[in-house]
Amino acid sequence: MNRPLGIALAFALAVVTFVASPAAAKPEGTLTVAVATFGNERWLPNQYVGAEDVVLKPLFENLLTRDPKTGELSPMLAERWQVLDGGRTWKFHLRKGVRFHNGDALTAEDVRHTFATLVKDGSANSLAPEFRLIKSMEVEDPLTLTVRFDKPSVVFGNKVNQGLFSSVAFIQSKRTIEAGEQAERNPVATGPWKFAEHVRGDRIVYEAVENHWRATPHFKRLVFLKVPEPATRMAMLRAGSVDVIEVGGEYVEELKKVGVRTLVMPNVSWVYIILGGQWATKPTYDPKVPWAQPDAERARKVRLALNLAVDKQAIMQRVLGGLGSVVGSWLSYPSDPWTTDASRKPYPYDPPKARQMLAEAGYPGGFDVTMNLTAWPGRGYLPDVGEAVATYWEKIGIRVKRRPLDRAIFAADFRARAYPGVALAYAAPLVAPEPWEVMFRAGYTKAALNLFMEHPKLDEFIDRLAVQPNAQERSRIMRDELGPWLQEYVPGVAIGAAHAIAGVGPKVGEWPLIPGHMGFHNWEYVTRK
Amino acid sequence: MGRYLIGRMLQTVLSMLAVISIVFVLTRLSGNPVHLLLDVSASERDQEVLTRHLGLDRPLPVQYVLYVRNLALGDFGHSILSRRPVTQHIRERLPATVELGVTAMLLSVLIGVPLGMYSAVRRGGALDRAARVFAVLGQSMPTFWLGLMLILFFGVVLGVLPAGGRGGLLHLILPAFTLGYFTSAAILRLTRSAMLEVLGSDYIKFARLKGLPEPVVLWKHGLRNALLPVVTFAVLLFVQFLGGAVVTETVFAWPGLGRLILESITTRDYPIVQAGVLVLSALYLTGNLFVDLLYSYLNPRIRHYSA
Repeated sequence: MNRPLGIALAFALAVVTFVASPAAAKPEGTLTVAVATFGNERWLPNQYVGAEDVVLKPLFENLLTRDPKTGELSPMLAERWQVLDGGRTWKFHLRKGVRFHNGDALTAEDVRHTFATLVKDGSANSLAPEFRLIKSMEVEDPLTLTVRFDKPSVVFGNKVNQGLFSSVAFIQSKRTIEAGEQAERNPVATGPWKFAEHVRGDRIVYEAVENHWRATPHFKRLVFLKVPEPATRMAMLRAGSVDVIEVGGEYVEELKKVGVRTLVMPNVSWVYIILGGQWATKPTYDPKVPWAQPDAERARKVRLALNLAVDKQAIMQRVLGGLGSVVGSWLSYPSDPWTTDASRKPYPYDPPKARQMLAEAGYPGGFDVTMNLTAWPGRGYLPDVGEAVATYWEKIGIRVKRRPLDRAIFAADFRARAYPGVALAYAAPLVAPEPWEVMFRAGYTKAALNLFMEHPKLDEFIDRLAVQPNAQERSRIMRDELGPWLQEYVPGVAIGAAHAIAGVGPKVGEWPLIPGHMGFHNWEYVTRK
Repeated sequence: MGRYLIGRMLQTVLSMLAVISIVFVLTRLSGNPVHLLLDVSASERDQEVLTRHLGLDRPLPVQYVLYVRNLALGDFGHSILSRRPVTQHIRERLPATVELGVTAMLLSVLIGVPLGMYSAVRRGGALDRAARVFAVLGQSMPTFWLGLMLILFFGVVLGVLPAGGRGGLLHLILPAFTLGYFTSAAILRLTRSAMLEVLGSDYIKFARLKGLPEPVVLWKHGLRNALLPVVTFAVLLFVQFLGGAVVTETVFAWPGLGRLILESITTRDYPIVQAGVLVLSALYLTGNLFVDLLYSYLNPRIRHYSA
């Protein structure tokens, strides 16, 4: 190749690279998103719960995140971290040069103050119980924070990363937090989007931070609109008033029919039926509840019968619009490394066998049960799942009393474990990548919360997993021991893993999503078409 | 007139007190906001602290007395969710509701009155039949369905109007029409029947015998007399629009007062629910009072009878 031609080609290549490079592109246009809820619409660490993270994530960042391809922990505000003393000590080394939107430099003291605020008495933050296990925090230098625990906290990295639902340990500046009400009016953080406007109950507007340390957004403005009615969200997307909508599975076919692009976020929540009352050591324990009676074998047969009576595939297809995978074992996703072929296989739909199991358990004529039909935020389909399961149970002779109940009423019983003999449909979002972390909340007697079941064997598993620093060994314990035990024990009625759906308009190009992450995220990486 | 006025105002104040008490009790029977504010994993201590912080640990009678006392001082309290003064929330949302209500009312009157009048004048004609079809449809179509159909047709198929949200004048057209259609149909029917009655009266016959031009007979002598019940109806409907537009506001993602109250009910944000209902009740009772006074002014028999 002669020299002038080489120079010309090199120049052309440089021009093409510059034009094509997303990092070099200046943010332009507006990305408008319609969501059903904004949650609490609060901006301080001890005031948001977690369900609102969809609208908070563009603004805030965490110490760590997850790799979109592998799901592994990866750096965010902390450029590296060390796990010492078998998980009792976590040392975070912050990235140099990161600034808050008000110009303040990010320091370890900001991180320490954020975590201290998160655990204040009366904190609404869903991570408060986990962060209260911290024994001390030491700011070693402006960019190094050491967090110490009494007992090993081997998955603390999962609590400080952004790639999860409910990952609300967002880092804020000490100065902002101390400003209190001012921060509520003009929140400040380090994310790729900065706060522009908040009209409560109507819209939240962000503007792109140009030359952001991590990712300069492709769009200039990001507008979240609160549109509670799903049919309106769909119409707004079709009319071009918005570019992205969240929508339930029941609307997917309709969207496809009219040619709207949908984006599936697979396996984001686990749908199952809670069988209340499996808490033998609690004062509210009722030994007459068939599935929780002292005779463990008879109780198990009842729980198994309740599983065999239900056609999970039909529920997945008809109630959840076919957007999910039926799985056999409780709280493991089909793609998890600890999920085995055996645990992927659901209990078969076998009503005659279910009746036989009931008879063997001493209930040939069935029994009475109450099914709570309670909707939870972002999971409006749950009463329909409960209704479908109730109908299947009736076919094997169980007499089901449906009880439509508002969450505000039921929440008190739920917290107090005062609903023995009551069943309800529930969907657990992926609040942690490892299922035992969810069980820590739902079934561990030594945790602040024990929602619906307890068992000495489960405590034993959790005790072992909680101090096991080796991730591969934790995976093995879950795959070879905990998973099979849960499948054998049958704690609830397993339905399966549900997907989340986004309807996407013509302006939206590429959108890399982190696997298993419930709710929209990674707005800064959404490209323009 | 003075005694009548004082009597009616006293009645209004008593009605407000009753509304305050009923709303106070009902909101507290409907569940504890602390359970919705905190994550399910929150500890007993968090619940206690938040309950105390919100003043919900006090006995109900104490809460009630404090609430009424603060109201008397003009303090509606703070939102449980946002911790901002309730008045700020109402101030933010009321303009959207008034904007929608006023436009819907104008549309109702501008459609309902002329159509009702001409329907009466051309009784049995094509226009009358068309107007009656319009009225039947307007009063039988659910607002929710109508709103969605309008969005689909004008927003999606034709693409000429925004499908939702609040913005400029164009954003207002579909929600205002949805809200106003039912009322315009009701006003049409009311105007039509009132006009039919008036047109059959002796003074209209006399006006025609005098040789007055027909437009003068219809507009000056006919419509002015027929409008009295229509105006009364319209005032009360307007007040209802302010609080009763929940469905329209939800379908069109319109950030108004009705939606604020509905959302606050689902989150058990007592102070906002109480203040919202109070504001709407005050508007309704004031509207009622205004109509009564208007009636008594226009028809002296009412105030004499009351006195």
